[in-house]
Amino acid sequence: MTSLLSRVAERFSMDLDHPSSAVKQSATAIAVVAAAVLTFIVPGLGFTNTPAAVSGIAIIAFATLLSLVFTHFENLDRYALLIPLIDLFGIGAFRAGTGGVASLWTAIIILPVVWLAAAEGRRYIAYAGIGTSLALMTPAILTLTWPQVPGEWIRGVFTPVIFAVAAAIVNELARQSRKQLRSIKAMAEEKERMLQRTVEYAAQLQESESKYRAFDRMFRGVWAAVTEQSVIGTDATGLVDAWNPGATKILGPTAEQAEDKLYIYDFHLPDELEDRARELNYPPGETVLNPGFSALVETARLGQAESREWTYVRGDGTHVPVQLSVTKRVDEEGRTRGYLFVASDVTQAREVARLKDEFVGLISHELRTPLSSILGYLELMRDDEDNPLSEEHLQYLGVAERNAHRLLRLVGDLLFTAQVESGKFPLDARIVPLEGILTSAIESARPVADTAGIQLVKNLPDAPAVVHGDPVRLGQAVDNLISNAIKFTPRGGTVTLALDVTADKAVITVRDTGMGIADSELDKLFARFFRATTATRNAVPGVGLGLTITKAIVTAHHGEMGVESEEGVGTCFSMTLPLSPVVIPA
Amino acid sequence: MSATVIVADDDQDIRSLVSIAVTKAGLTLLASVSNGALALDAIREHHPDLAILDVSMPEMTGLEVCRAARADDSVGDLRILLLSASVDEHSQSIGIEAGADYFLAKPFSPRELASWLSVGKEAR
Repeated sequence: MTSLLSRVAERFSMDLDHPSSAVKQSATAIAVVAAAVLTFIVPGLGFTNTPAAVSGIAIIAFATLLSLVFTHFENLDRYALLIPLIDLFGIGAFRAGTGGVASLWTAIIILPVVWLAAAEGRRYIAYAGIGTSLALMTPAILTLTWPQVPGEWIRGVFTPVIFAVAAAIVNELARQSRKQLRSIKAMAEEKERMLQRTVEYAAQLQESESKYRAFDRMFRGVWAAVTEQSVIGTDATGLVDAWNPGATKILGPTAEQAEDKLYIYDFHLPDELEDRARELNYPPGETVLNPGFSALVETARLGQAESREWTYVRGDGTHVPVQLSVTKRVDEEGRTRGYLFVASDVTQAREVARLKDEFVGLISHELRTPLSSILGYLELMRDDEDNPLSEEHLQYLGVAERNAHRLLRLVGDLLFTAQVESGKFPLDARIVPLEGILTSAIESARPVADTAGIQLVKNLPDAPAVVHGDPVRLGQAVDNLISNAIKFTPRGGTVTLALDVTADKAVITVRDTGMGIADSELDKLFARFFRATTATRNAVPGVGLGLTITKAIVTAHHGEMGVESEEGVGTCFSMTLPLSPVVIPA
Repeated sequence: MSATVIVADDDQDIRSLVSIAVTKAGLTLLASVSNGALALDAIREHHPDLAILDVSMPEMTGLEVCRAARADDSVGDLRILLLSASVDEHSQSIGIEAGADYFLAKPFSPRELASWLSVGKEAR
């Protein structure tokens, strides 16, 4: 429709604005030829001045030839207005040859005048007037005589004025017509552009829609595929508005039964919610409508991620332990719109943990009982006064005893590590002066250090340092660090035990001049069963539990472990413990 | 007359080890049994001065025997030593709560057990 309109407009503009010079010239050429033929054949007419008439026809012929050339060479088109000007001279000459002022063919002048006048620009009205005047005066110009008859020169001036007026009207009409055409064309183009934009927009819309559909399919697929986790969405008051198949599997109700009907706290143990609310000190000055729900979403409401264990109550009243993470749902402006509750059933994980504890206990018992027999009977052999052993046999016995003790220690370490992991790490905490622990640790390490040819240095401050802790465990931690340092230091080296006391902290450091630890291994050092490359390369005995245990003890005392090391230079372990505010009298 | 003892442990080797220590200490071993139920029977039958009981035993645990013996008026004046392979710090206090007088963790030194028993003998 629009393209049809634009085609019509274009066609008009072609015909009106851009007819070729040859087409425009054809009217004048045909009129002059017709006039010449009529003059020749009609009795009573005839040429009054044959040379003038012939030169007029020649000029018109030349102009027509020129129009054909201009039409052929488009770049010459801007000179096309020369043609009507030449025509005017030709017609003037023809008129002079066909009766001068009395010529019948004066009217032909109108044809080039219209051509000129229709050109764009008001100056062409003047060109038309001047051209007409010159054409009408041509007989006089040719004979170089001023017209004797007053009518002749009046005609030379008056007629051009009339022609100029006609030219002005034609010019104006042409102008208007051009203007209209231009605006029709502009409108058509605008419409075309709008259509183009609409098409593009529609394509974009379709693309986003197909993207949205793909995303929607993906989301629905994921939502339906999550069957092992319960995913529940609620509004800001806890009313369920999204319920996935996992929630149905873990809790019972279907999405239809839960959405817009049930509240998330319907699935929580009221006691647990109450405990948590109390933990968070509700009501905290302000009135909380539903302390349980507020406690449940408190961390998420503050924009933090939270994951903790809760007990869900199923539709049938049975309980299921879950690991639940709560996150906030926000709208485009960042306002809280509700919460998302993602929970995993941890019944199995708890059962596994329980079985592990049981297994560790059993293993510990089953390993310690035969070790008790081995050590007991070895001792009976050693103590048998009726059958004393030879020196050699006593030596063999020593090896067996030493290895049985090694096995016993390993069992103890494993059991202790398991206790730490399951969070069952008993601390018999009391107020303890550190000096005693450090002194006895260094004294008990001295025989081993002497045998290994290592100097033990103790560097303790005069001021007492008192911590709140389990003296046995703290002693075990320091013993571990010192025996490690001795193991990893070659003969002739030094192990220094130091204590630094600040306002609120005690820093115990054990520094050696040993083989050191690679930088890349420092962060793995405290992991269970990890052994440094320097340890395995130098065949230093151990299983990789000592530092794990040491760190667990320090952490249980709210302290921190640190390590600095340089390969081939030495290592320095530090234990930072908070000082007890209570100072016991000396 | 030396003090009388019964020993109960499901592990025969440990039982023998304890028996040797008892004999070395100069005490009279009245019975050596392999489970808790037999231990309680032996206590009721022999009225020993001391019962050395392993904590984890079939039929009845050492703790159960302890409670049953303390609840039984016919048992009279009995000292109980519990033996345990557990390193859990709580096991000792649980044992004392159940009515045991002494607690000994495995592995133990038979030499030390014997000397402790002989001191006990003197004290009685």
